[in-house]
Amino acid sequence: MIKLDDIVVKFGEFEALHNISVHVKEGEFFTFLGPSGCGKTTTLRTITGFIDPVGGTVLMRGEDITHRPVEKRNIGIVFQSYALFPTMTVRDNIAFGLKIKKVNKAEIDERVNVIAKKVDLSQEQLEKAVSQLSGGQQQRVAIARALVTNPAIICMDEPLSNLDAKLRVQLRNELKRMQREFGITTIYVTHDQEEALTLSDRIAVFNKGYIEQIGTPNEIYNHSKTEFVANFIGDINRLEPEIVNNLKLDNNKKHFIRLERVRVLREKNNNDLELDGVVESQEYYGLYIKYAIKAGGQVLKVIEKNDGINIYEPGEKVIAGINLNDVMSYDA
Amino acid sequence: MELNNNNKFNFNLEFALKIFLGFLFLYLFLGFMIAPCLNTLTSIFTTRGPDGNIDPLAVIKFFWAGTMPSFVWNSLKLAVCLVITVNIVGISIVLLTEYFDIKGANILRLGYMTTLIYSGVALVTGYQFLYDSNGMITTWLAQYFPTLNRQWFSGFNAVLFTMTFACTSNHALFLRNAIRGIDYNTVEAARNMGASPFRVLFSVVMPTLLPTLFSLTVMTFITGLCAMSAPTLLGYNSINPEIVRLAGSSIADEAFPQARAALLSVILAMFTIILLSILNYYERKGHYLSVSKTKAKLIKQKIHNKTANIMAHIYAYVLFIIYMTPVVMIILFSFQNYPAIRSKMLNVKDWTLVNYFGSQDYEYMTSRGRLRTRTGSISGVFSNSDAVGGIRLSFIMSAIAAAVACVIVVIAVSYIFKHRNKMRAVVTESCLLFPWLLPTILICYSFRIFFNKEIWYVFGNNLYWRENVRFLIIMAYIVVKLPFALRMIKAAFYAIDDELDDAARNLGASQVYTFLKVKLPIILPSVLAVFALNFNALFTEYDMGATFQSSYGKTYAMIIQNMTMEEGREGYNINASGRRCASTVFIMLVSGLILWLVYGLGARDLGERLEARKKWRRRWGKFKGTARAGAMLVANIFK
Repeated sequence: MIKLDDIVVKFGEFEALHNISVHVKEGEFFTFLGPSGCGKTTTLRTITGFIDPVGGTVLMRGEDITHRPVEKRNIGIVFQSYALFPTMTVRDNIAFGLKIKKVNKAEIDERVNVIAKKVDLSQEQLEKAVSQLSGGQQQRVAIARALVTNPAIICMDEPLSNLDAKLRVQLRNELKRMQREFGITTIYVTHDQEEALTLSDRIAVFNKGYIEQIGTPNEIYNHSKTEFVANFIGDINRLEPEIVNNLKLDNNKKHFIRLERVRVLREKNNNDLELDGVVESQEYYGLYIKYAIKAGGQVLKVIEKNDGINIYEPGEKVIAGINLNDVMSYDA
Repeated sequence: MELNNNNKFNFNLEFALKIFLGFLFLYLFLGFMIAPCLNTLTSIFTTRGPDGNIDPLAVIKFFWAGTMPSFVWNSLKLAVCLVITVNIVGISIVLLTEYFDIKGANILRLGYMTTLIYSGVALVTGYQFLYDSNGMITTWLAQYFPTLNRQWFSGFNAVLFTMTFACTSNHALFLRNAIRGIDYNTVEAARNMGASPFRVLFSVVMPTLLPTLFSLTVMTFITGLCAMSAPTLLGYNSINPEIVRLAGSSIADEAFPQARAALLSVILAMFTIILLSILNYYERKGHYLSVSKTKAKLIKQKIHNKTANIMAHIYAYVLFIIYMTPVVMIILFSFQNYPAIRSKMLNVKDWTLVNYFGSQDYEYMTSRGRLRTRTGSISGVFSNSDAVGGIRLSFIMSAIAAAVACVIVVIAVSYIFKHRNKMRAVVTESCLLFPWLLPTILICYSFRIFFNKEIWYVFGNNLYWRENVRFLIIMAYIVVKLPFALRMIKAAFYAIDDELDDAARNLGASQVYTFLKVKLPIILPSVLAVFALNFNALFTEYDMGATFQSSYGKTYAMIIQNMTMEEGREGYNINASGRRCASTVFIMLVSGLILWLVYGLGARDLGERLEARKKWRRRWGKFKGTARAGAMLVANIFK
């Protein structure tokens, strides 16, 4: 569907993207994930045509669109701020692209009504000013505006970042539902790992203008290819020499273990390594409890499901269990 | 292929338009800003001495040898005193209405803000009407204080008194906003730590207001230095009236008057540049911004000391009376007949509209004791040909200038934003801000002198000749209003999200389409506000009209000035005072309407407008329903 080959983008002397290659498949929900300034938005803007790469090619369905103007790419965009035109009604916002394409009025009305229904916007809301809508409704308008012209793909640049936490979760689910309903190829940019993991079919993790790993959420989380990916996706413990030696791991490598893979026990239970420890602190989250346990010459962060029975208090002596299979190792 | 041709055509047209606009901008900047001002500057150093040779220092030597420093000194004296008095009155009116709990604060605020609609030449002539030697208040005071000097309202005292109350508008606007922006939690924190309300005021509140106060002080100083209408009408020898006098003088009457006027205006410019540089430096150093994320609204502070509270109330209401008396009196007198206005005694039984519309005959006794009648000599402001002519001319010139200034600035700012952080954008912006550095009088004086000959680049015309002067005044209006328009419209452009541009492009809109359909509607309220405010300021503008002093360019303010001249017994200038009162009311109405349009109606966004429309439709539907029911009821009754 969309294929980036060796894309290089420079801003003056600064090289923002170094030979980026990605292949997004038809109908896929593909996410660019990474910290601020890693190049994910730059890659998206290269695809949409706002940035001209100095090297490489952008192919859409096999056609080279690298230097094609923005408006001729047939790509819909949902912007971070939604970029809804404040002086127009919701209807005029959605119809904007169709008017430019000189579609006749009756067809515009019909297409706007159809798309509005699909994104759950009422006729009354269509006649309102965008400022009269809630954040969630504005997002639907932005999606409707991007979809009404029947684009080949839709690009979303952190569309949930301006919303509060509760609404973000709610809209995340709606976004996924809409994407499935429309069946449209979607490229999504975010720095939120949770968002990326819950929404995506596949994820590309960016760092300093490179792609560190491309894979499904499970591959990215459980089989992180690089230390950066392992660290960036979720919280992690780095194992110190005492534990590394006890587990007979390679001293020339760095070793990590995810929080939920360390087991907290009252009695030994046949784990590869079982260390005597003391609970230093406890953070109660309801669904789960986060502990800091001093064991094996370091403090291990641990997450335990809250079953209401096995709750460990600070100062309590416990056993920290680690299995070799759960350890992720990377070259130092 | 067709598409390519179209693109090529569009590209060529766009390129040609850009080149044309670039040259036009350069032409206007060099021709109407640089050349006249440079001419003024060089005229100082190209004066011929008594021996007929050019003596570059002749004017400067004359300056030090003659009385010219006294004009500079007088202006400085006025500026310094004005800074003190305006700050005292300005700060106190804001504290009394926004910070302290004073009874009737809302009404007091309205009174203090009357200077927003009642200012300039209208205000000066209004004060004159009340306070001059035979003014109503002076006469009333003289009854109770026979020793009162009836000439108290003249010269420096009168100018300082008038300008003190005229110049608090900026305090009423900006200081009020600053005090409303204070986080009340900081006040509560200080109170919690044991600070008294006055300690809180001086240690917590005032320091946050300092940047605003500093800006207001500099602006007040410049206003005092460049004062024109008050010194001219009330008789005070400061720089500006002297420049105007010298500009109209000739070498036959006195030594190199033009060069002296140029020197004075350059001195004024130097002061302005220095002060604005200080202000700029200070503003760049930063402001005390509130760091709190949840700002609490300021709650008015009660003055617990009984005596202090009573004193504060008395002070507040005395100020209110000073602000309101001229306004109320002018409105009342504008509906009084000629004898009442002439004697400045209110006649509560007899009211008339003749000061506005229509005319009356004027009867007078000749020196030989004969009763004569001049038909229609007592005329209203809208029936007097001079007044109507002045209003029409000012209306047209102000509207054209305000509109052209907006168009120039919108195009320029669009260019500046497109080429942000590039040298050409900085240069364009600096060109438009250039007139800000120069006092209005320098620009107008330079125009008057430079264009008072045939100039090749204006097609060999003398722009100061006859009706041409109107074009010259419009150009001066435009030049003077460019910096204000730039600052306001540029701020409006900042409100346009860059992503809107990207979104429109992505949906296929061209640059022009995006500008017209997306950006312009966003900035339009600000552009219209700038147009309205500039129009309002120019419509009653006095300084420039007085500097050009042309019978072909007699602006409304100049007509009002003429209304202050002595009313001849034999029919000359009869009922000028009545027309002046009516004019002031008319100006107040125009200003009030414009401020309402700008800050009331114009401040609503699309959502609020749609809501208002909906409300209106609902009401209209209700009304129609009631009317229909009523009609049916009536029809049934008559059946």
